[in-house]
Amino acid sequence: MENSAKMFWTGLSPDEAREALVNKDKSMKDKRMTLKEAVSRFVKNGDNVGIGGFVNVRQPVAICHEMIRQGFKDLTLSFQSAGMAPELLAGAMIANPDKFSIKRVELAYWGHEAFGLSPAWRYLAERGLIEFEDWSNYNMSARFKAGAMGLPFIPTRGPLGGDIKNTSRTKIMDCPFTGRPIALLPASNPNVALIHVQAADMYGNCIIRGTDATCAEIAMASAHTIVTCEQLVSHDLLTSNPKDIMIPFPAVDAVIQVPYGAYPGACRRHYWFNGDHVRQLLGCIAPMCKGGAPDALKAYYDENIYGVESFEDYIAKIGVKQLLADKAAEAVHCERLV
Amino acid sequence: MTVSTDYTAQEIIVVAGAKVLEDNKIVFVGTGLPMVASLLASRTHAPGLIPVFEAGAVGPPLKHGLPVSVGDSRTFTGASYVKGLNGAFELTQRGFADFGFIGGAEVDMYGNLNSTMMGDFPAGYQKPKVRLPGSGGASDMAASCERTILIVPHDKKKFNEKLSYVTSPGHLDGSPNARYNAGMQGKGPYRLITTKGIFDFEEKTKRMRLIQMFPGETVESIQAATGFELLIADNVTEFPAPTVEEVRLIREEIDPNGVFVKRAAK
Repeated sequence: MENSAKMFWTGLSPDEAREALVNKDKSMKDKRMTLKEAVSRFVKNGDNVGIGGFVNVRQPVAICHEMIRQGFKDLTLSFQSAGMAPELLAGAMIANPDKFSIKRVELAYWGHEAFGLSPAWRYLAERGLIEFEDWSNYNMSARFKAGAMGLPFIPTRGPLGGDIKNTSRTKIMDCPFTGRPIALLPASNPNVALIHVQAADMYGNCIIRGTDATCAEIAMASAHTIVTCEQLVSHDLLTSNPKDIMIPFPAVDAVIQVPYGAYPGACRRHYWFNGDHVRQLLGCIAPMCKGGAPDALKAYYDENIYGVESFEDYIAKIGVKQLLADKAAEAVHCERLV
Repeated sequence: MTVSTDYTAQEIIVVAGAKVLEDNKIVFVGTGLPMVASLLASRTHAPGLIPVFEAGAVGPPLKHGLPVSVGDSRTFTGASYVKGLNGAFELTQRGFADFGFIGGAEVDMYGNLNSTMMGDFPAGYQKPKVRLPGSGGASDMAASCERTILIVPHDKKKFNEKLSYVTSPGHLDGSPNARYNAGMQGKGPYRLITTKGIFDFEEKTKRMRLIQMFPGETVESIQAATGFELLIADNVTEFPAPTVEEVRLIREEIDPNGVFVKRAAK
């Protein structure tokens, strides 16, 4: 077998991940709490944090705001493709490294598609301020899936041929059945998953609209899961079609209703992207890649995160007119009578 | 058909990309220009084209217009099947995707693509000169779609003998059965579309070969903008300039806000 890199686990090893679930209270209890309480109870310094959503769709933005307010050190971020969640967390580190820091990122893509590249990713990587491990979207998704399946690794074709296998913990072996090379990827079992969904009940059962992204796999793989939802509904309504439930309650530790919790990203049925706001944050960081001062970035955080008590206060600053426009822009994609 | 006189470099890429796609095939579409090209193909010669997006949507009619993200609400509405990323990539690994349509920042003569980093490799991997976004789904599409179509703007700095990093494997080192021997599936890079022309990969050597030039280009001008020796097909033809109607479709119907196809400065 080809050993590309020394093996080590970030987050939980498969045995530790099993142990975490065995010891967890899996009862069907009321898990509603404030976002403040959820973040302080379930996120710790040094954690491997699994980030849900896909690029700027259903990113756990509200949870990230609260993490920045509380301040955490030496986090590992794990995601397939992400935009605003890592951008906000990394921006906090760039603006104030004593209060917030990321040690490592395991990822497939960090950027904003139509809204631009990520200046925070460039800033941190090009200065050697964080370590990282490149994977592909399928690699990261399959790693979470392996974690969710209770397996230590998963075989995929993805990293064969290119350099991803050389810069990651991928191992290549000859398949025992076909004799051809196959890639083995280590499972990812984060300490905590950050997930934003359309609807949940107080026990943590979740319904997701639009792309599932890799949310269910991340939640099932992690030791703890914090869920924010647009709509908190009764257990009876949520389970009216049990097969709609994407994440089951025992995987979830905290449920918080946070309307616009993925904003300024998009959330199907609720709101479309506010691209101008995404670009506003990118515009605060981009000049720093060329040696610019952090003044605009610090002002953004003071205004939108440190200077407010809650995510609701940040949303209030966006203004009703803008929020109605973003809601209307999404409504045309899923027109229905209320 | 009236020929457009004011088309841009991105618009001819989109038109060429659309024409390479075949009707009634499944195409796994990456973000950016591949989305625009796939939409143009389905509005013109390929109404039966079935797009798959990596966040999970299969076959959406895209009647609300161009997605701004391969995971957004527009890819979902009216889709025949939607799961998540594992679902989309498992379909591809299984063999459901006839084409994969991807871009990159740097390409070599065997159609290997880089979208990870620029700089010294491996020594400078953890502190690259320029850090790019990363693979996204491109390396998976490259490893498992049956054929891939690549889009790279033509620039001597982007067409290199050796890449800083191979994110999305093409024909690897061009040796016989290189992809099969590495464990991959699919025939690999099928066409490359640049701002100067269309290329295939010669059957024996798997090397990049010019097959069609865009108007105004010559074999010499294209070779001069390429950092390695190109193969030239026996009968290189000129790719016709986009028609007024094709340009109108891109500007007015497919990408009216210039999300991916930038407007020319007036």
